[in-house]
Amino acid sequence: MNDLLIIMKQELLLTLIIFVLLTLKIAKDMDNGAFLNLVNLLLAINFVVGFLGGMEGMLFNEMYHTNSLIILEKNILNLGTLIISLQSWSWLKDHKHVAEFYILLLCTLLGMFFMISAGNLLMFYLGLELSTIPLAAIANFDLAKRKSSEAAMKLIISSAFSSGLLLFGISLVYGSTGTLGFAGIAASYSADPMQLFAFVLLLAGFGFKISAVPFHLWTADVYEGAPVAVTSYLSVISKGAILFVLVPVLYTVFKPIAESWYNMLYLLSVVTIIVGNLFAIRQENFKRFLAFSSIAQVGFILVGITGSSSAGSSAVVYFVLIYIFSNLAAFGVVSFVSATTGREGISDYKGFYKTNPVLSWVLAIGLFSLAGVPPTAGFFGKFFLLLAGAGKGNYILLTIAALNMIISLYYYLRIVKAIFMDSNDHPIEKLSVPVFPKLALYLCMAGIVFTGFVRYVYDYIQSLSIGF
Amino acid sequence: MGSASLIALTLAAVLFSAGGILIAKLLVKGTVNPQKGQAYECGIPTSSSPWNQFNIGYYLFALIFLIFDVELIFLYPWAVVVKKMGMVALVEIVVFLFILFMGFLYAHKKGALKWM
Repeated sequence: MNDLLIIMKQELLLTLIIFVLLTLKIAKDMDNGAFLNLVNLLLAINFVVGFLGGMEGMLFNEMYHTNSLIILEKNILNLGTLIISLQSWSWLKDHKHVAEFYILLLCTLLGMFFMISAGNLLMFYLGLELSTIPLAAIANFDLAKRKSSEAAMKLIISSAFSSGLLLFGISLVYGSTGTLGFAGIAASYSADPMQLFAFVLLLAGFGFKISAVPFHLWTADVYEGAPVAVTSYLSVISKGAILFVLVPVLYTVFKPIAESWYNMLYLLSVVTIIVGNLFAIRQENFKRFLAFSSIAQVGFILVGITGSSSAGSSAVVYFVLIYIFSNLAAFGVVSFVSATTGREGISDYKGFYKTNPVLSWVLAIGLFSLAGVPPTAGFFGKFFLLLAGAGKGNYILLTIAALNMIISLYYYLRIVKAIFMDSNDHPIEKLSVPVFPKLALYLCMAGIVFTGFVRYVYDYIQSLSIGF
Repeated sequence: MGSASLIALTLAAVLFSAGGILIAKLLVKGTVNPQKGQAYECGIPTSSSPWNQFNIGYYLFALIFLIFDVELIFLYPWAVVVKKMGMVALVEIVVFLFILFMGFLYAHKKGALKWM
């Protein structure tokens, strides 16, 4: 019993927070400011406690397992959620349903935790559903906007469809191996057509969630319609969680068919990078732009995954950490501007530097890091991904990835040019940033600057991921 | 296993779905009357267009009923093993019911159980 409390520490703490919020909501009506202070305090405590005294182990007949890498991954997700919560302060302070927003948000986080820790396909599926259904509800949280409802509708329908594919794949896996446990599947999987077909369906389910290219069609619409806080949550946390699962599933469970999935992932990553990049060039809405840029980033992550070595898995975790900082720096500024002025077009940002120099620099550094320009952490993240991909010696894939990094420079810098050089008759007025969003942006900046240079971070992740 | 099983599965799936439609086509007596085209309303002829607006209260009640109805099913497997598992099972079911009760309280607080 004591083991259970320690092993499941992070999940239990999160459940406790959800209950505290629910009780508060039922017991009395707090005003938004006090409530947001409390929530951010609880999330900060949650993040800190995540580092204290974890324990590896398995529970419930191998349904649930955890190790140091998984604990670290959960801490990364906790950090991302904390930053998003701080950023959305200006949007939530006047919202009528703050408690519900946080309860649903933390429920999705809890689902992701269970998904990452799953040792069984059923447990994985339960976690996945817990992490997607409440997301559709909070995608609808701009209650007055029709686009927000449209986003929620598209999200729920596309995730229902992808869950269908995933379940069909799971049922075929069960039919052909007679087990749903990861260890059992790994022991009896082989490259016969039935099991390959099952794997393709599973991969399609994963592809929907990380919006790899043939399955990306919902992404731009959902990202555009949903509130910015939810968009950044979708693009960073929910994607990161799925990637954290995808890597061990590919590396350990489907190790017997590594040849086959390597080829599939190779194709997926090439198509994802190219389509994501080409579509990002033409976007005029900032959120749609970030949607396609995040699709392209997933393509780069897939390149790292194809490396199928411990370098691959550590590069993915490292990149997701950096991606959280850089994407949230960009989203943080967009979120704040959108919440205070309601402007989201890229052309609105012309002349942004004249009125808001500090925010401009934050946005620019975030974009530089996303593009992978050297002094920022994004460069190191992409570098390790490509290095991991190079382990397989597939230079065609690496060349395509490198060429696409140059294309991506064009559209990231196009925005930087609009911010710093273009003139505008109606620039966004001067904004003063409240404490919490400012804190979040400082965190992101610190992350972008230090994660790349502090060698300890990568070494630590590397030391944990030898197990694969 | 092998490709044979995959082909067999595909054939079985096609046969199962197409066969159902085919058999229904063969067996059914094709009588047509206007009532068949109408929406189902307790078996009597419909009184008005089914596309009218209705009170959202119905929806809320149905949803709450459904939640508690489905959750109740979990109590049956618990009742089977509760003697064998002893204290642990009791604690777990109390936690489970507490979670449900919180949801119920929330619905009550929101006025979802009040008929408007």
